[in-house]
Amino acid sequence: MMDEQHLIFGKSLTLMQNDSTLIQQLKNKDERALSLLYDKYSGSIYSVILKMIRDEGKAQNLLQDTFMTVWDKAENYDAEKGRFYTWVYRIAKNKTLNMLRKSDPLIQTDDFSVHNNKEDAISIEPEYLELNGAVTTLEAHHKEAIELVYFKGLTHREAHQEMNVPLGTFKSYVRQALKQLKITYAKTLSLILLILNAL
Amino acid sequence: MMDKKTLLENGLLEQYLLGELNAKECEQVEQLLASDTELKAHFDQLEQDFETLGLENAITPPPSVKSQLLEHIASSSTKATKVVELNQNNNIKFYLGIAASVAALLMIGSFWMYSQLNTVKQQLETVETNNTELNTTIEVLNKELEQTNTFYTAIVNPDTEQYILEGNDLLPEAKVVSYVNHKNKSVVINTERLPKLDDEHDYQMWADVEGEMINMGVIAKDKTLMTMAYIDHAESLNITIEPAGGNDHPTVEKLVTNVYLN
Repeated sequence: MMDEQHLIFGKSLTLMQNDSTLIQQLKNKDERALSLLYDKYSGSIYSVILKMIRDEGKAQNLLQDTFMTVWDKAENYDAEKGRFYTWVYRIAKNKTLNMLRKSDPLIQTDDFSVHNNKEDAISIEPEYLELNGAVTTLEAHHKEAIELVYFKGLTHREAHQEMNVPLGTFKSYVRQALKQLKITYAKTLSLILLILNAL
Repeated sequence: MMDKKTLLENGLLEQYLLGELNAKECEQVEQLLASDTELKAHFDQLEQDFETLGLENAITPPPSVKSQLLEHIASSSTKATKVVELNQNNNIKFYLGIAASVAALLMIGSFWMYSQLNTVKQQLETVETNNTELNTTIEVLNKELEQTNTFYTAIVNPDTEQYILEGNDLLPEAKVVSYVNHKNKSVVINTERLPKLDDEHDYQMWADVEGEMINMGVIAKDKTLMTMAYIDHAESLNITIEPAGGNDHPTVEKLVTNVYLN
């Protein structure tokens, strides 16, 4: 488990270096930059879309659509306000939520009902719905809180009802979970830095 | 009004990150983030952790998605290219301008080259003329040198005898030096000291062979050294003044100098 994390961290560290250059090139309509940024982020984004919509065909269309928007609206991205990944994540999440609402117009008005039909959605490998990495080491209710808001696209309001706990409690679940993740990642990061220094 | 404490306690930062907030709330969070570096650092950390979380759960999409995406973009950029092409039409004037400028420069250049060519041609002609003149001069000099050499060899030859013809009473200041080589049968005379004659008269040289005067030639007025005809068995050399162009027989009364050879 730790080895795998090192690998992923190492990968993300090397990838991080060229991001601002790549994004500038993307804004200048450089297709090569889009291709490289796609290689870097498509896996994470595809996973989120898949877990939300639970349909591989739709997820692939949404993924393509997301990166089309990234291409078209690249000039709207402001590095001062946040990371590129966060920006892409929000685009993907909005597109997926819109799709979910469209596909079930009858319950469109209901705040969180878009997720109530999840048992019907099938066309997906079950393993795609499983979580990996540090999040699996969390306590079950912390893990679920993260899964709901981050991977299933529920709002805090929807998620606390889903878990059947008060909103304040749910918020503290999220906060605790993130704190735990941060510690785990920081440990891994320092380990990697140690290894890098040793090299 | 939102402050840092409520922001942190209500998990608004997380909701902002996840895109759950409305536009007004977003703006407030962004303002706080911009003014508070500590909060911004916390948010950066949060973003990084969410990104790592995403990366850890990444699922590689099928390659067809990427190829379709790139195809899509390529075709849309082709449209963009078409627009650019239209703009290029507007630029035709600009390019025409450049072309005209280049043409004008070429024309001016050609004209300049042409005038240069003419100048060079003229210079070449002058040089050729000069060259011909020089060649002629060299020829003349060569001839003169040859002549001088001939005279010189004739004069310095050990077989050459020197006879001096002193002027008689008719022309006492005259003095002609003659160089006679009996082996080579050549005669060279130096007429430097022979007084000048008018245009109607010439000096003529004669050889006396057994009482008969035989013509050796008319002495040229423009030379100081000249070759005369060698006459076998000549007993003496004589110079007379004759009408211009010479005479068939010597005018004895006008004999100005003579010398005996032995």
